[in-house]
Amino acid sequence: MTTEAIGTRSTPIGARTAVLAYLAVSGVVLLLMMLFGATMRLAQAQWISLDPTWFYIILTMHGAGMVGIAGLSGAAVMWYFVGRYVPVSTAVFLANLGFFLVGAVLILGSGFIGGFAAAWTFLFPLPAHSGSLWSINAAACYLFGLISIGVGFLLLHLDIVRGILSVYGGLGAGLGFKQGFGLAPEDTGPPPAVAASTMVAIVNIVGIVFGAAILVMSLVNLYVPSFTFNALVAKNMIYLFGHIFINATIYMAVIAVYEILPRYTHRAWKTNWAFYLAWVMSTLMVLTVYPHHLLMDFAMPTWALVAGQIISWLSGLPVLLVTAFGALTNTYRSGLKWDAASGLVFLGVAGWAIGVIPAILDGTIAINSVMHNTQWVPGHFHTYLLLGMIAMMLGFMTWLGGAKSPLGLAPVGFWLYLVGGSIFVLAFLSAGSASVPRRYAVHLQAWLPYDEIGSIGACLAIAGVAILVVRFLAGLRSAAAGGDDSVR
Amino acid sequence: MIQDVVWGVSIVLMGSLALVFAWVAAGADISLPDYGPAIASAYRLRGWLFAAAVIVLIAANWRTLAELPYVSAATPAPGATVVPVDAVGEQWDWMVTPNAFKVGQTAEFHVSSKDVNHGFALYDPGMRIVAQVQAMPGYTNILRYTFTQPGTYHVLCLEYCGVNHHNMKTDIDVAAQ
Repeated sequence: MTTEAIGTRSTPIGARTAVLAYLAVSGVVLLLMMLFGATMRLAQAQWISLDPTWFYIILTMHGAGMVGIAGLSGAAVMWYFVGRYVPVSTAVFLANLGFFLVGAVLILGSGFIGGFAAAWTFLFPLPAHSGSLWSINAAACYLFGLISIGVGFLLLHLDIVRGILSVYGGLGAGLGFKQGFGLAPEDTGPPPAVAASTMVAIVNIVGIVFGAAILVMSLVNLYVPSFTFNALVAKNMIYLFGHIFINATIYMAVIAVYEILPRYTHRAWKTNWAFYLAWVMSTLMVLTVYPHHLLMDFAMPTWALVAGQIISWLSGLPVLLVTAFGALTNTYRSGLKWDAASGLVFLGVAGWAIGVIPAILDGTIAINSVMHNTQWVPGHFHTYLLLGMIAMMLGFMTWLGGAKSPLGLAPVGFWLYLVGGSIFVLAFLSAGSASVPRRYAVHLQAWLPYDEIGSIGACLAIAGVAILVVRFLAGLRSAAAGGDDSVR
Repeated sequence: MIQDVVWGVSIVLMGSLALVFAWVAAGADISLPDYGPAIASAYRLRGWLFAAAVIVLIAANWRTLAELPYVSAATPAPGATVVPVDAVGEQWDWMVTPNAFKVGQTAEFHVSSKDVNHGFALYDPGMRIVAQVQAMPGYTNILRYTFTQPGTYHVLCLEYCGVNHHNMKTDIDVAAQ
């Protein structure tokens, strides 16, 4: 049995404009953060000169900025489509953008004015141990920036929960819990956008609460140094929050695949028991898998680390056997005519699925012993974020606004992005297997070839994304005027 | 080394998956007159893939979980001499005492930090990681490693710890037996 993927409500012009504003901000910040990333790779390759102090400031801004726009653009995808099935508030949606912009200004100010460089993960007690390179106020500015962004997302998820409850009566029903366990007919389950939005709301609300707690604790520690807490507990809270938030960005963005790909293939997305069970299990696994970030913290209970490894492996099953398999079967000999939008959302699923492989391997304790915090780590997460989540976002952006753009060149942008992105992530993974550390401002001569190849890939990927984003921005005015996108 | 195996396995699996996506994408413009039999076959295939994945998952976890690096599981090599070693991290230095060993000796590193989180990574003379553990304020983590070749091993910090992170390193000399 199937559920028709195309929503029953249309998107009002005001709401559509708000989504376009999200995407415009995301596109511009994405390009800026990609330039930061390329700057670091070029410095590691010794093709440009960059003071290590600035390297680590840029590292911190790049990490926080990329996580932020992944969340922002993922929210745009989710809100646009879930709003077709449940009532959601445009005011709350815009408030989230406001909180995000305030947070972004605070974070950029903390780095480029205050010199804050404790990495986006702000591991306690590093924010208070700057080596005289940043002030307590600069660290506080960064932490307040993250809190502002968290508050915005919390409001957004609560509003979506309100909408889901008003239509489905409970989060279990929104997730398709009964359908997943065969307790209700498959065709009575929620559409994919609602199931995904329910899952994201559940996990992100939990993650943001933990994130807010550790942010406030870190803030107090800055101004009252005698207030300290357990560094391992702090690390658990940070990685619980960080892992959930960044993973939720993919689960928001994948809604673009569920909604856009069927419009090209003219085949509804299959929502059977396996689909709902996958989302229920993903909810549990995203909440519980974070100890795989702590496999080298020998003070952790061994059972938690063993569980982290096993859940890491299990969490690959829904991605590979449900979403990736679903995209492949939906596309297989469907008569689809490829364009940049459909190509990008399809690529997004491929990037996600392919990135799962090195991620699972790194989540294996015996392998993590020699791969943890090498460039294998940015290698695997750039695979499923740069070539997965961001591809889905760019696909949505191109689908929503790109068709109305006066500029051509979308295929050129697509291929530059794909080829450059692939070179970029493979350079990271290859360097990781050669034990090159991540987050090093200065590299040994033996490591430079990886950096040089990675730099070339980064520049190509930026050129491709720049074409896609500029194309979108050029067509913004006509895209805002709207149109019936359900028939495209 | 294990890194080479992981790299090779990753390239094969990632490449295979990429080829499947490319194959489906290349044939997507062909329109199947009847989708029903194709989707039925696909679901049967998914059942087999699920079974294979479960077998691989169980086998891989069974095999790898038998080799935990945690000190409760990492027994010294038979006949090896265990040498206790203090390894203390502090922005941006390692103090490793003693720092000279012989091939075949098992160093039992007691790793701690005086300030922030650091990562104690042991590199062999060929600059490949052979073992690592986090150095955390308030904790002493124990890492055992048996030296297998003579030369200069290196300790690098692998947890970002501030603006001189990349210079936080020291050497360990290992002599032939």
